[in-house]
Amino acid sequence: MKFITKLFAVIQTLIVVGVAFSAQLAYAHGEKAQQPALRMRTVHWFDLELSTAKLDVNEILVVKGRFIPSESWPHHVASIEDGSAFLNIGVPGPSFVRLETRINGTPGIRSTTFKRGERYDFVVTLKARTPGRYHLHPIVNVKDAGPMIGPGLWVEVGGTQADFQNSIKTLLGQELDLETYGFAHSVGWSVAWIALGLLWFGYWLTKIPLIMPRFRRVSALGENADDMITARDRMVALGVLLVTLMLIVGGYIYANERWPITTPLQTGKVDTAVLEREPSPVMVRMDDARYRIPGRSFRIALTVTNHGSSPLSIGEFASGGLRFINAAVQQVKPRDADDLVASDALRVEGGPIQPGKTQQIVIYADDAMWETQRMTTMISSPDAVVAGMLFFFDAKGRRYPVEISGPMIPLFGGY
Amino acid sequence: MDAQVDWVVIPLLVVLLGAIFSFQFSLLVGDWDFWMDWRDRRYWPLITPLVMVTLPAVFGYAFWRLVRLPLGGTLSILAFTLMAWVSRYLNFHEFAGFPMNFVVPSTHIAIGLMIDCILLLTRSFFFTGIFAGFLSGLLLWPLNWPLFAPYMVPVEMQGTLMTVADVMGFEYIRTAMPEYVRIIEESTLRTFGDAVTPLTAVFAAFLTVMAYWFWVWVGSLAFRLKWLQKVV
Repeated sequence: MKFITKLFAVIQTLIVVGVAFSAQLAYAHGEKAQQPALRMRTVHWFDLELSTAKLDVNEILVVKGRFIPSESWPHHVASIEDGSAFLNIGVPGPSFVRLETRINGTPGIRSTTFKRGERYDFVVTLKARTPGRYHLHPIVNVKDAGPMIGPGLWVEVGGTQADFQNSIKTLLGQELDLETYGFAHSVGWSVAWIALGLLWFGYWLTKIPLIMPRFRRVSALGENADDMITARDRMVALGVLLVTLMLIVGGYIYANERWPITTPLQTGKVDTAVLEREPSPVMVRMDDARYRIPGRSFRIALTVTNHGSSPLSIGEFASGGLRFINAAVQQVKPRDADDLVASDALRVEGGPIQPGKTQQIVIYADDAMWETQRMTTMISSPDAVVAGMLFFFDAKGRRYPVEISGPMIPLFGGY
Repeated sequence: MDAQVDWVVIPLLVVLLGAIFSFQFSLLVGDWDFWMDWRDRRYWPLITPLVMVTLPAVFGYAFWRLVRLPLGGTLSILAFTLMAWVSRYLNFHEFAGFPMNFVVPSTHIAIGLMIDCILLLTRSFFFTGIFAGFLSGLLLWPLNWPLFAPYMVPVEMQGTLMTVADVMGFEYIRTAMPEYVRIIEESTLRTFGDAVTPLTAVFAAFLTVMAYWFWVWVGSLAFRLKWLQKVV
């Protein structure tokens, strides 16, 4: 018996020590854990920019970017068009405070909805609050579907949190420090109630020994156990009850006089403006998509029609937060070690697409990111449909984003 | 020896009641009471008293039945309050980084005091339910108004009317808590002349009477358990 007890103790200790030393710090927000279909077919993010990657407490960080809700939004996922959605920021806790959000110029304070296929340009203004190094993501939370996480970039905040200041002005002209406003008042009020509770508790503690003698008396008195309540008990109870009621009523009157103008918590949905669609000279149909597992290679066959007057080249394929760049068309470098950009991983066969022509194009997005970002699990999806954004460029460098989507067939090595 | 029993049992009871209450409250009220921008005038005063009388009724029955002590309400809510402060400070402020004024616990001790004092004065669970249950539902909002009122002062933000609490909810980023998650009043009770809080309070009061009686009955069931009778 003793041996088993010791054995269990040793095993428990090993587990605790093992977990403590093997656990890694969590820096990200679980984007790799989301199934590929969700990442590829919900929100397409692009042009994410941070005003700086290094700042001090109290300094401003502006997050800009664009997103397009996918036309291929899965039917089994709650809709971004019908329910509620909210543009959020993924950072560990309130390491920043959010001063302003604008989506196509509309304030993003409240929940809203977003239309599939429309482009939304957002600007989020943050103020650094807590020193540290953070992986910052834009996120669209969709009611009943969860967070659709955008690309992440590292930000380093220096300084000390004690210097942080965050004040607002009310409609009554008061300047409030949101870090401390009302706290001393809350503490005072809570302490008053705790003191009254302790007073009542303390009254009964003065009767110690309490439990065993009273238990024996209750058992002995049976139906007449109420006789244990003394006249003094009743007087104290009446007094405490009256003080309780007076404190409630008095507190309410005091609060109404001190803060005579209040308003209920505000909520409701807003309609976010939709941008006027820019004319696009390109039409694309996805004919075939095959993911070759051994080569981590995505091959997509497309039929592309160019209605414009300038040849069009494919400069980028973006899907599920991964960016595959055609280095022959544009140069894009990762901005930090976790920026999911493959700078020369997009091969295009059959381009450029000449004006007025319809051409068969094949693109190859080949990179280990498919594996490292856990996108390869798309081969085990019950709904093997993929989607992504193609970025076409004309001879003058103008960019035309187009969404493609369709079924995907996995190719297994040796078959 | 009897006094030594008290010094062992009472502190254990305080910790046990606080832990059970905190768990139950987190499950059933949770975010409604964690954040200042969730404590609205319709749902918070309806949900909270229903949950707040549960353990005072169950433990109040046991304390009264076994030792004729009217302490079940005050002791359990007092223990819960102390734990709530510890949790808000350590978990929400120190660990998660939210300012304490945004997550400060509400105050409920008056409910425990009313239940215990009225039980002692009436010596009846029926009348305790009628009076203390009704007052608990009715007075929860006025009881907490001194805590909430400073945060309900109006503010303009990006051309939108907000309260101070709303501004804090927007500014202090909660990645996993988008705005729409808040279950708060979205429209007034239009046919009742906008009197949302009084109507909610009266409705909550009636429900709390029944909730108190129900949980006292549940507490009484425990004394029909053979194994428990052997223990006590």
